[in-house]
Amino acid sequence: MTGFIILGTFIGLIIVSFAAIVQKKLADSIILFMGVGLGSVVLFFIFKAPDVALTEAVIGVGISSLIFLMALKHLGEQK
Amino acid sequence: MSLKREIPTTTLSGFALSGLLVLTILSILLQNIPNKIQTAGNALLKLNTTEGVANAVTTVVVYFRGFDTLGEIAVLFIASLGIGLMLHSNTKCNIKAESNFMLQTASRLLFPIIMLFGTYVMIYGHLSPGGGFQGGVIIASGVLLLLISHKAFEVPHSVIVALETFAGVSYVLIGLIGLLVLDVFLGNFLPHDISQMGLLLSGGIIPLIYIIVGIKVGSEMSMIVQNLIKRDYDV
Repeated sequence: MTGFIILGTFIGLIIVSFAAIVQKKLADSIILFMGVGLGSVVLFFIFKAPDVALTEAVIGVGISSLIFLMALKHLGEQK
Repeated sequence: MSLKREIPTTTLSGFALSGLLVLTILSILLQNIPNKIQTAGNALLKLNTTEGVANAVTTVVVYFRGFDTLGEIAVLFIASLGIGLMLHSNTKCNIKAESNFMLQTASRLLFPIIMLFGTYVMIYGHLSPGGGFQGGVIIASGVLLLLISHKAFEVPHSVIVALETFAGVSYVLIGLIGLLVLDVFLGNFLPHDISQMGLLLSGGIIPLIYIIVGIKVGSEMSMIVQNLIKRDYDV
């Protein structure tokens, strides 16, 4: 059962990260990048690294995507 | 430019990424033998019992690699300093428009819970998954919620300076006391009996250091977020 969850999460991660690459709008890319972070949280938790999972959930999904969005907003205004 | 038009770089990079990920899947699944995964940390767990801390990762991060953690905190401090130097502006924000009513009400409900959870993750870092870094960033995300919802809100600069100075100085001081008492920088000079393992007051200086790390990371991340957002209003 765990193997199926791992496999499904990995395939979902591949699809989401591919979608994040081919997006035309950068904001959509950032949202999909957050999805990649969420998938890796699940994987870290399954592979018995709850500390890393918590860090990824807080920093990778929360703060860093906020910083990306802020930078994108600045760059978009200056264009 | 013409070269870029001829070669579909996006598709190629996508395929390369997919191939890499498939290789990662295969290698991890091939190693997915229950014995290997479950015995990965046993050597560290044996060493861990000498310090009386229930969470082995905390022992490694704060005690066995305590000096590296001091370096990481210095790196975060320098990042915060750089963002403050580049983006800080003294002009008061003069936005009249208020944010959404739902966001304001929800932030009033959620802010104490986020702060409580962050403090819990920070204080129980030596017993359960989590610790100073995670708790500090959770507290910073609570500050971020207030910054988004209440546009006049601002963390006072003097509070941040006081907290950060206190945390940095006391981290180094604890290390120096360990150097004086035990001849090792960041030596565990407080009592850390093995029979106390699992209690809140256990592990000697390790929970103290993690709380200090949490205070420092929380204030630094709050400052980074505040500088970014306030700059956003001014432009």
